[in-house]
Amino acid sequence: MILPKFEFHEPTSISDACELMAHYRGKARPLAGGTDLLVNMKKKVLSPERLVSLGRIPELSQLERSNGTLWIGAGVAVSAIAASATVDRDVPALGQSARALGTPLIRNLATIGGNIGSARPAADLPPALMVYEAELVLRSTAGERRLPIGEFFKGPGLTVAREDELITAVVIRVPEGCAGAGYLNLGVRKAQDCNIVNVAAFLELDGRAELIRAARVALGSVGPTPLRSPSAEAVLIGQKPTEALFDLAADAARRDCSPILDFRGSAEYRRDMVGVLTRRTLAMALSDARSRN
Amino acid sequence: MKQLIRLTVNDRDYEVAVEPNTTLVDLLRTQLGLTGTKKGCDLGDCGACTVLLDGKAVNSCLVLAVQAGGRTVQTIEGLETTQGLHPLQQAFIEKGAIQCGFCSSGMILSAKELLERTPNPGEPEIRRAISGNLCRCTGYQKIIEAIKDAAR
Repeated sequence: MILPKFEFHEPTSISDACELMAHYRGKARPLAGGTDLLVNMKKKVLSPERLVSLGRIPELSQLERSNGTLWIGAGVAVSAIAASATVDRDVPALGQSARALGTPLIRNLATIGGNIGSARPAADLPPALMVYEAELVLRSTAGERRLPIGEFFKGPGLTVAREDELITAVVIRVPEGCAGAGYLNLGVRKAQDCNIVNVAAFLELDGRAELIRAARVALGSVGPTPLRSPSAEAVLIGQKPTEALFDLAADAARRDCSPILDFRGSAEYRRDMVGVLTRRTLAMALSDARSRN
Repeated sequence: MKQLIRLTVNDRDYEVAVEPNTTLVDLLRTQLGLTGTKKGCDLGDCGACTVLLDGKAVNSCLVLAVQAGGRTVQTIEGLETTQGLHPLQQAFIEKGAIQCGFCSSGMILSAKELLERTPNPGEPEIRRAISGNLCRCTGYQKIIEAIKDAAR
């Protein structure tokens, strides 16, 4: 398959990249790992006039923890997140979601910024990032702004980022105390697959009484964007974490999603699996939270 | 407009002019004549075009040739030394892990990245490491046995 022709830019700093995006506003697309964009260009779904490659910008590839915050540059490869001991200790559901993405070959190319920016409803990383309430750092020549990831997605392939804006980093406040999370995805096969359903859950427990102080559930592949499940969260907050409670939360999550039917699964099956994965990820979150007590 | 890039492929330095829309797999196969790297789906699904880019196994159909400028590529042609075949290549032959051979280059390079990271992998790790490489002949079992054998 032949890639359509395009002009190519390889800036070496974020500010140069922003200049290019502003100069060719609307005509240039940022190229990160290329695992989504180049495929869509080969299939002639997209044919941007210009590509601004972000692969030679060292500032984008930092992954560091300081002052209770995890800073992940947008250019950090998914394989680096999957292999990071810091990620597994501080935000394990993100590590789980990184290991679930694509294949080892894709993970070596794909980046966290690309997985968010491409705004695929079935993407692996967004639900995990949503339950950690990650913030995105967006940059353009007009300046920098921060946005909760939950406010970023508008629809399949659509985001609130302006056409000259770049995602430069993902910032996560590392949960403290008795808090834990989990991520699970379901596909037809275990690798190289588009998810049928993917779910992340987060629980924070009150240390002594073990009541749920905070709960977050995010559902992927069952709506035009990854979504939080406010009904499931409302069921959980203030209660004791039990299997019966998780069953109620699973039922609530099933009601909060709007799955489509396609060759991977029927809408009914997807809705049922939202329930199953919600229950299981809540159990993972509970066991992670208890292990930190 | 063509761009001039320098890259190292199998320890040899090249300077080549490439169009921005040329992928690394096409550069390797058509401009450098290294046809050991196979082109299967050309969409990042099958893994036939796997090469090591700065030591990491990647789909070379999803990398632009210009992105490989200044970097180091290893293809299947770079594995054999004056001592003979690479232990992985030898093991693939001995264990019957090669049938039609189309997936073999990619399989071996994915396995090489694994063994460099994890010299003594268990079977689940081997299965995970080759999960981006499709084989339609062998049913994978003999490939897994060959990788285990090469690790010994």
